[in-house]
Amino acid sequence: MNLLTLWLWPLVGLILLPTALVYFGLHVVGRGIIFVDLALAQIAALGIAVAALLGADPGHGTLPYALAVLFTMGGAALFSLTRFRHPRVPHEAIIGIIYIVAAAAATLVLSRTAAGDEEIKNLLVGNILLVSRLEVLRTLALYVLVGALHFVLRRRFHMISFEPEEAVRQGIRVRLWDFAFYATFGLVVTSFVRIAGVYLVFSYLIVPAVCAALLSSRTAARLAIGWVVAFTAGISGLLLSTQWESLDLPTGPTIICIFGLLLLLSGVVTWVRARSSARAGG
Amino acid sequence: MKLIPIVCAATLLAVALPASAALRVVATTGEYGSLATEIGGNRVSVTTIAKPTEDPHFVDARPSQIVALNRADVLIEGGAELEIGWLPPLLDGARNAKILAGAPGRIVASEGIQLLDIPLAADRSQGDTHVAGNPHFMLDPLNSKVVAQHIARVLGQLDPGGGPTYNANLARFSAELDGKMKEWTAQLAPFRGRQIVTYHPTWRYFGRRFGLRADTFLEPKPGIPPSPPHLAKVIQKMQDEKIRVLLVEPYQPRKTAEAVASRNDAVVVDVCQFPGGLPGTSTYLQLIDVVVQRVAQALAKT
Repeated sequence: MNLLTLWLWPLVGLILLPTALVYFGLHVVGRGIIFVDLALAQIAALGIAVAALLGADPGHGTLPYALAVLFTMGGAALFSLTRFRHPRVPHEAIIGIIYIVAAAAATLVLSRTAAGDEEIKNLLVGNILLVSRLEVLRTLALYVLVGALHFVLRRRFHMISFEPEEAVRQGIRVRLWDFAFYATFGLVVTSFVRIAGVYLVFSYLIVPAVCAALLSSRTAARLAIGWVVAFTAGISGLLLSTQWESLDLPTGPTIICIFGLLLLLSGVVTWVRARSSARAGG
Repeated sequence: MKLIPIVCAATLLAVALPASAALRVVATTGEYGSLATEIGGNRVSVTTIAKPTEDPHFVDARPSQIVALNRADVLIEGGAELEIGWLPPLLDGARNAKILAGAPGRIVASEGIQLLDIPLAADRSQGDTHVAGNPHFMLDPLNSKVVAQHIARVLGQLDPGGGPTYNANLARFSAELDGKMKEWTAQLAPFRGRQIVTYHPTWRYFGRRFGLRADTFLEPKPGIPPSPPHLAKVIQKMQDEKIRVLLVEPYQPRKTAEAVASRNDAVVVDVCQFPGGLPGTSTYLQLIDVVVQRVAQALAKT
C-alpha cells in the first residue's frame, strides 16, 4: 500500500477541497448558470496571458497571479452587472459569450508573446496526481476564509441565489452581493482548476449538486448528499486508478466516470421512489 | 527479538530476489529506454514514461509513472530542458532520493553532448527556446554512442557485478551502430545539400549529420503554433528553393503540413523521434533505419 506515502496529498486534496466546490455547485445549479466556472477560469487565463505579454514568466512570480486574481474580479463584476431581473436573453448566453471572447482574446494576446499556447494551457489544466503539500495547504487556507465568509452571511447568499425577488423586495443590494458571490466563487474555482483541471472542477461543481437536487429538496440535506457524492467519487477514483496497477487509469477521468455512475444511481433511486410513492398514493 | 532474524531473512530475500534484474531503470522517452535495454540486457528492467507518439515537451502524468519513479534505481532523462515541464512534478510525487538531481542514479543524457541552437540572449522573445540548446540531439546517431557510454558507466557503478556485461553490450552496440552508420550515410549521400522542412526544430542534428539542411520550420518560433503569414513565407521559400520534402511527427498537426505541401507538390513524410512511434521500430537502431529509408525515398521521388 503506497496510498499514504505516494498519494497522500492528492488524497487530502480530494477529501478537503471539494467541500467548497459542492457548496458553490448548489448555488450555480440553483441559478442555472452551469458554465460560469469555465468562463471565470478562462478569464483568469487571460490575466496570465496578459502577464506573459508584460514579460513575466507565466509559471512564476507574483505578477501572473495578481493579474489572474484581478481579471477574475473583473469577470465577477461583469457577471453581476449582466444579471437582469427581467432578462431578454438568458444569463447563460452572456456567460457563454464572455467565455468565448476571453478564450479568443487570450489567443490573440499570446500570439504577441513568446510564451507557447501550451504553457498557459498547462497552467490552466492541472493534474490532481501531481498536487504538492504547499498547493493543498494554500488552497485550503483560501477555502477556509471563503467558507467562513459564506457561513456567516449564508442567509444573504442563499437569498440572492434562490429568491432574488424576495431579496429585491427586502431592499438588499443584489448586484453588490452578486459581485461578492462571483468574486469568492472565482477565487475558489480558479485555484482548484490549477490543481485539478477544468474537467474535474466542472464535475465537482455540477454532479454532486444535480444528484442532491434529485434526492432532496432541503438545503442542508442537499449539501450533505453533495459531499457524500463528491467524497465517494474522489476517493474511489483515486483508489481505483492508483491501486489497480494493471489498469493504469488516469485519475481525473476515472473520477469523472464514477461521477457519471453516481448520477445514474441517483436517477434510479429517484425513479423508484417516485413509482413507489405514486403506488402508495393511488 | 525473534523478529530480527526474520527481518534479516526478508531483507536478504528482497535483495537476492531480483537476480535477473539487478537495476530498475526508468527512461523519460523511448530512445533512452532502448539504449538502456541494449546496455543492461537482462540485468535491468526498463520502464519508459512518455509514449512514442506523445509530445515529449508535454507528458500527461499517470499513477504508474509515479510508482515506477518511486521504485527506480536509475533515471535517464534527455536533459537540456526537454522534460522541464513535466518531470520535476513527477519526481516531487515520487519521493525517491536515488534519482534526484545529482544522485548517482540520475543520468542526464545531454551531459557531454555538443548542443546546437544555444541562444545568444536567453530571453523569451525566441519562443519556447530551450536556453540550454536544442534537446533533440539523439537524432544524430553518433550522439547515441556517447549516451550509451554514459549509461554503461553509471550502470557499472551501481551494479559492479554487471560491469563486464555492460561493457560487452556497449562494445556490441557501438560496433553495430558503426556498421549501420556507414549504410545510412551511403543511403543519404546522393541528397547531400538538399533542404527539408520540418514542423519543429527536431531534425537539426539529423540533418547536420547526414548533410541535409533542416532549418526551415512550420512553427514561427519553437512551440508557437504556425501563423498564416509565417506559413505563407514557408510556402514561398519552398517554391523559390524547390524544397519538396516536409517531415511531420505523430503529435504534430498533419493537416497543416499537408496544406503547405499541397501548394508545392511536396510530400509529407511521417517520421518520429522515438522507437515505437513508427511500425517496425522497436529499438533505437531500427527507428533511425526506418527514418533514413523514408527520408531517402521521399528525396529520391521529388
